[in-house]
Amino acid sequence: MRKLLKKEIKLAASPLSYIFIMFGLMAFIPGYPILVGSFFVCLGLFQSFQCAREANDITYTALLSVAKSDIVKAKYVFCIVIEFCYFVLTSIPVLVRMTLLSEIAVYRNNALMNANLVYLGFVLLILGLFNLIFVGGFFKTAYKFAKPFVIFTVVAFLVVVIGETLFHIPVLSALNAFGFTNIVLQVIVFLTGIVLFSLLTAISIHRSIKNFEQIDL
Amino acid sequence: MKTLCNVKNLSKSYPSFSLSDISFKLNAGTITGFIGRNGAGKTTTIKSILGLVHPDCGEINYFDLPFSENERKIKQRIGFSTGMVNYYPKKKIKNIVAITKTFYKNWDENTYQKNLKLFSLDENKMPCELSEGMKVKFNLLLALSHRAEILIFDEPTSGLDPFSRDELLELFIELKNRGVAVLFSTHITSDIEKCADVIMYIRKGKLITDCTKGEFCEHYCKDGETLEETILRMEKEEKV
Repeated sequence: MRKLLKKEIKLAASPLSYIFIMFGLMAFIPGYPILVGSFFVCLGLFQSFQCAREANDITYTALLSVAKSDIVKAKYVFCIVIEFCYFVLTSIPVLVRMTLLSEIAVYRNNALMNANLVYLGFVLLILGLFNLIFVGGFFKTAYKFAKPFVIFTVVAFLVVVIGETLFHIPVLSALNAFGFTNIVLQVIVFLTGIVLFSLLTAISIHRSIKNFEQIDL
Repeated sequence: MKTLCNVKNLSKSYPSFSLSDISFKLNAGTITGFIGRNGAGKTTTIKSILGLVHPDCGEINYFDLPFSENERKIKQRIGFSTGMVNYYPKKKIKNIVAITKTFYKNWDENTYQKNLKLFSLDENKMPCELSEGMKVKFNLLLALSHRAEILIFDEPTSGLDPFSRDELLELFIELKNRGVAVLFSTHITSDIEKCADVIMYIRKGKLITDCTKGEFCEHYCKDGETLEETILRMEKEEKV
């Protein structure tokens, strides 16, 4: 798998996949819908799929001494690595805003989502949905990616709208916690995000391996 | 002769074409020429035996091992090249090769360098800068450099100039003498005439003949008829 990941990085990936990781720092921007950043990193990954298709990457990889299932796994590993880098990067502004900048007025007077563990839970949900809808959709044909990306975009923006505004419902206002207030709730949402990401990704990998076996290249 | 690849009852159906009940063997030290007109099923057969196309039924064994369960192990020992497919058009050849060779335990740098010179390929060029013939050579170069025991080529001579074609067919003979099993598809009968030991002739998805060149001539060629004339006649007879 290490060799295949190296092949993804050196031959198949678009530089945009790496550059768009930087959108993780958008969580520093006050008054901005910070969840949108997680859509941008997915857009960067989409560019890699586009590059790979143009370069006949799947057929080339299928001819190497690897099993067909390895090709699928390698694409997921690449996505997960990029997603992990994004997650780590966007966790930095979250931790800074939860600690050093928790009392700053510009972040306090925010009509949109606050950067806290709830935000990170939603980020993981969006990334998991990308793996399920887009990557899983791509491996139904190993060629067509427009439809899965459009579906993912619609779903991702619904999640962004829900995530950014949910706390305006009075009973859910605790979701917009500052610093370490309501930390138990924050941790629960964060852990739910981890579980959902893992579940959606695992389901997607399983389905994609099954679908890809049946595909004629 | 040792059988290195054994294909039994391979079938694959598409809405407008089907490959029916294809069975053949590839033996060590033998060149098999796979001939048929465009759309006869050569590429589908080759892709099926390499797992690129999912067959509806059939058994594919290499080195007495079923392909589906031993894909990684088997691919270490076979080389494959498909015509003019353009892999990573904007990456330098040397970078593509640097990644490719990590996948093969038996990568042979000397053979690679030798063939690089033989094919007059410049490692610093990108595939998008190569002519169609040079792209074929690049794909061949990748397939030839890991001491494969079976080499499978889909139309390797398409797009090559007569000199390069001749050199390539000479190379096939050299590999055969080293015990390698070579299968190559073509619609150029003179390629078969020059180097094939066995002729597999496919028509409309059905394998019409699978025999030695001598047997083919004995059974199908009329007096004074060349191989090309025989195959053309067989195609025409089918139409009538």
